[in-house]
Amino acid sequence: MAKDVKGIQLTRVRELNQLKITRAFNEKWLPNLVRHPRPQRPGLGLTGYLKHIQDGRIQIFGKTEAGYLSNLKEEEMGRCLKNYFSLRLPGVIVAENIEPAGEWIAMAARYATPILVSELHTAPLISRLSAYLYQYFSKKIKLNGVLMDVMGQGVLITGASGIGKSETALELVNKGYQLIADDVAEFYIDSNDDLVGRANEAIKNLMEVRGLGILNINDIFGASAVLEEKKLNLVINLEKWDAKKKYDRLGEDNQCFKILGLEVPLINLPVGPGRNLSTIIEVALRNFLAKKSGRLTYLEACQAASTLPPGNREGAGGETT
Amino acid sequence: MIEKKQQIFNKLGLHARAAAKLSHLANMFSADIYLIYNEDKVNAKSLLGILTLAASVGNEIMLQAAGADEQEAIRAIGDLFDRKFDEEI
Repeated sequence: MAKDVKGIQLTRVRELNQLKITRAFNEKWLPNLVRHPRPQRPGLGLTGYLKHIQDGRIQIFGKTEAGYLSNLKEEEMGRCLKNYFSLRLPGVIVAENIEPAGEWIAMAARYATPILVSELHTAPLISRLSAYLYQYFSKKIKLNGVLMDVMGQGVLITGASGIGKSETALELVNKGYQLIADDVAEFYIDSNDDLVGRANEAIKNLMEVRGLGILNINDIFGASAVLEEKKLNLVINLEKWDAKKKYDRLGEDNQCFKILGLEVPLINLPVGPGRNLSTIIEVALRNFLAKKSGRLTYLEACQAASTLPPGNREGAGGETT
Repeated sequence: MIEKKQQIFNKLGLHARAAAKLSHLANMFSADIYLIYNEDKVNAKSLLGILTLAASVGNEIMLQAAGADEQEAIRAIGDLFDRKFDEEI
């Protein structure tokens, strides 16, 4: 179920430790809403070209803005600031601990605009702020399954209730891989168009194993067994072994799991007696990584070999192992 | 598929113990059963899923079931809510 978000108050933005906000002016208007994931530097907006200054975007002032304004004559500066702040922007963050001039603060106050000051340089300030805002504003979706990091890849293990998702995940944790979320994972699209999953705060680090109860993986296995969030690379769906169903015998199925408009590779794994799922998943990941790095699958190698002249066929498949 | 609005009557809301009882009960039915609250939809057979809702006393949630025994499932689960998860007198 996807959800859209309307806005985030600057009060929340101010509390983000990673932004290193040192002080705030016009605090009365901190409840203003930022309604856009991308921060904006006004640049030419201060000279009077306001066409692309967008409503709802948080504004970032750096040395350029501060320098430009301080070089203007008093009258001119007043006019620029008035034109700019009369757009009723949600708020301004001044970077590099630059002290906002009295004129800025007064004009911002006239148009209900708070000003925050950060220690960071503009580039890291913008990248940290937009990473946070992208996560905040992006469509979110909850999926049933266990999200794990296996060999550096984000893997979502799905399947019907009781099929053994958590047990398989526990084996993987025991082998040294990391848990992100058990049972329900929340996904959003980040600024790189990647699908990133994390756990709901209420169940972070927790895993339910029938017979043992709710386990805190961080307490039992240590901090190296859990991860905050992970980009999704592969979905592995566990299903009951069905003798009538045709399973992939040659490794030629390229199935996809569609979510929020993106496609993620999908593997259907039948669960049956004598199948050690955590090992099969590890091998699936090795195979996935090999394919990703350009290795040919067995079938592709056979095809490649059959197009070679007979004399060269020997050893043509050798590179693929 | 059938749906039923259900209010939460027990003081502690859908905390761990209540969620365990609820998911245990839901697992007795073959139907797919979901809880919907605040635009979030979770599988009633998943204990951790129920915990993510963080629904408390007085909140209203939607029960949804689809499958052969959906009627019985909704009735039994509604009854568990009405009995305040057997926590209080």
